[in-house]
Amino acid sequence: MRFDFLPTTGSVRGSGFWRRLGISLVLGAGFLGGPLAARNGFEAVVVDAAGELVSDVVLSLTPLDGQAMPPSVAGEAKISQIKQEYSPYVTAVRTGTPVEFPNLDTIQHHIYSVSKPKRFEIPLYEPGRSEVVTFDQPGLVVIGCNIHDWMSAYVLVLDTPWFGKTTADGRVSLADLPSGRYRLELWHPRVSKPLSREVTLGTTSGAEPLRLTLALRPDRRLRRAPTPGAGGAY
Amino acid sequence: MFRFRHFGTRLLCIIVGLLAVAQLTTFFFVAQANRRNALAAVEQALDRGARQFEAITRGRQADLLLAARMLAGDYALRQLFLRADFNQDTARSALASYQDRIQASALIMLDAEGGLLASTQSGGTHALEPFRRLRSLAETEPTQEAAGWGFLGEMALNQIVLVPLYAPHPEIAAWIGVGFPIDRATAENLKDTSSLEVTFLTLDNTPRVIASTLGPERADELSRLARPGGDLALARLRLGGEEYVSRFRRVDTSTGQPAWVVLQRSLEVELAPARTLENVLVAFTLASLVVALLIGLFLARSISRPVRRLEEHTRVIAGGDYATAIHLPRADELGRLAEAFNALSSGLAERDRVRDLLDKNVSPEVAARLLRDGAALGGEEREVTVLFADLRGFTPLSEGLPARELIALLNRYLDRMSAAVEAQGGVVDKYIGDEIMAIFGAPVECADSADRAVRAALAMRGALAELNRELASEGRPPLAFGVGINTAHVIAGNIGSRRRLNYSVIGDGVNLAARLQPLTRRAEFATDIIVSDFTRAALRGSYVLRALGDITVKGKTTSSHIHAVDAAG
Repeated sequence: MRFDFLPTTGSVRGSGFWRRLGISLVLGAGFLGGPLAARNGFEAVVVDAAGELVSDVVLSLTPLDGQAMPPSVAGEAKISQIKQEYSPYVTAVRTGTPVEFPNLDTIQHHIYSVSKPKRFEIPLYEPGRSEVVTFDQPGLVVIGCNIHDWMSAYVLVLDTPWFGKTTADGRVSLADLPSGRYRLELWHPRVSKPLSREVTLGTTSGAEPLRLTLALRPDRRLRRAPTPGAGGAY
Repeated sequence: MFRFRHFGTRLLCIIVGLLAVAQLTTFFFVAQANRRNALAAVEQALDRGARQFEAITRGRQADLLLAARMLAGDYALRQLFLRADFNQDTARSALASYQDRIQASALIMLDAEGGLLASTQSGGTHALEPFRRLRSLAETEPTQEAAGWGFLGEMALNQIVLVPLYAPHPEIAAWIGVGFPIDRATAENLKDTSSLEVTFLTLDNTPRVIASTLGPERADELSRLARPGGDLALARLRLGGEEYVSRFRRVDTSTGQPAWVVLQRSLEVELAPARTLENVLVAFTLASLVVALLIGLFLARSISRPVRRLEEHTRVIAGGDYATAIHLPRADELGRLAEAFNALSSGLAERDRVRDLLDKNVSPEVAARLLRDGAALGGEEREVTVLFADLRGFTPLSEGLPARELIALLNRYLDRMSAAVEAQGGVVDKYIGDEIMAIFGAPVECADSADRAVRAALAMRGALAELNRELASEGRPPLAFGVGINTAHVIAGNIGSRRRLNYSVIGDGVNLAARLQPLTRRAEFATDIIVSDFTRAALRGSYVLRALGDITVKGKTTSSHIHAVDAAG
């Protein structure tokens, strides 16, 4: 399992942002392995209503036919505090995954979350240190910094090993999926209505990724407070 | 119809009346302008007050939003949500603590869906709804904040704001609502900065005052009288007998029930400086009226007194005193009038002097000439011919006649004789009983006075014959007369006292004529007209004269040659 590292959701941030109230997600499915393999590959492309590619969309496939899931592998996720932002912005983890929170800044941060699946805080801690939080309940955990209002990060805790996050080109790829039926779910920080549908792998063929539409809310992320003496970037 | 009996009163009335009208008109227009200005000033003040109210509430709203934002971002509040068991009592006490900190009247916390988490208001449900309405508003706002008005109790009008509690931004974990009361302090504050009376009230079915800077009685009166026409409507209301210009401003609460802000200013208070001016004007008006009255009195007297003196002087003149002059040393019309009066007096005195002459029935031309050449009457030596005619046989005629008829007869005779004299340009100088004295050649000079006198005597003889014929037909005895004529240098002039003057002639020549007349009684002369030799010598025409010889008249030492006139030549 591999997470793509995306520093920001650059493709959806920009001047034309408010116009894109609806964003569509397009999903494609196809065989990644050869004819002998029982494992299937998945590829999806996410676009918004205006046809723009959307990053940071978490795609998850939950088996419906009791497909055997690989065991959890601990310590693979990391959410850094760097340049007074959380990086990555969106993180998907399998339930029970410990996530590392290294402070790579020169100042202190105060990590907290009041989200039901994981209420926690890491009070002001020194640059260079790193704390580990284990997300043992599925669901959405929103993480903030008590002293920097604009800092936010999303951790989607999932009960399936099969998930991925769209990159800047709006694509997400999954591999090593047993054939069978899955509940496909899409989530994004701004999703107004999570998309959920059933897909079957191993019976259909086709190399083209599928495209689907998903409505998103306007971006309400805080603009970062201008640093004194930085020349008024805002 | 009223009529002035005194010129002074009329003058006084005109002066004072005109001034009063002018001053009253001025006062009226000034008062009207003052009222108009006051109204405009009040309206401006009300506009300013309305803007100040906007500014104050807008500023306070910004403050409230700021305070609410600070609270919502306060980590202590966030800590409440970090715990699995949300403790409402703890939350309420925390809110109470914050309420003290920001001096708010109400603090409330809703969950993300609008459910009540905690409130500092005891009767929570009443206060909840206005904030819930704000939440619906906030969700449509980009800032996810909302502000407005709400009743957080029966009459507890509040400015309210609602902001999200982010954990973290933009995830809304809860809502924080803050209320700030609109109360007496708010009203007083607005009054301090705007000098307006401020009242907050409701005007629905049962109008009630929320807070007011007016006294409770006037505030109640206002709530009963107020009939707002709409937002920013202007009205004039009488409260406690004072007129207030009032502006109504509607405040819509989030639950829909409107409240009203009434800004007022008393017109009396606004007019106070103008009233001072008006009082000064009234005082000035009265003072100027008094001055005008005094000036008018002075003027009236300065005119009416000389007029009265002139009037009195006319009485003096009417009384016949032409000698008294009026002394009025003025350069104006009255002075000239006084001079005219004096001229009139002297003119009348002059006329008096010539009146006697005029009485002698001279012709109008002669009279005019005499009046014009009044100086000639002063007294001068002049050659004239004097005629005396005396009636004979009048006594037997008068016997047994009543006095009235006697006089009528005498006048009939004198009338005929006088006509004959005047026909020859003579002047009847006087009647001495039944005797006539006539003068020829005075006062109007003429060269042929002797001829005129002789012709007049002949005409008189004819006229007497005519009269006798009339008397004979009336069965009365005839009349006879004797005429004496002399021509001589005499003194002619006005003779008499200051009050009575007679134009006449005096001198020996006059006496001679008077003495010649009785000579006609002498039978040996057998004539009724005797002329002196002086007269004969002066005659130019030819007459039938008969010399009667020399006689010496009484009072004379020298003898005179006399002639009888028998007929015209």
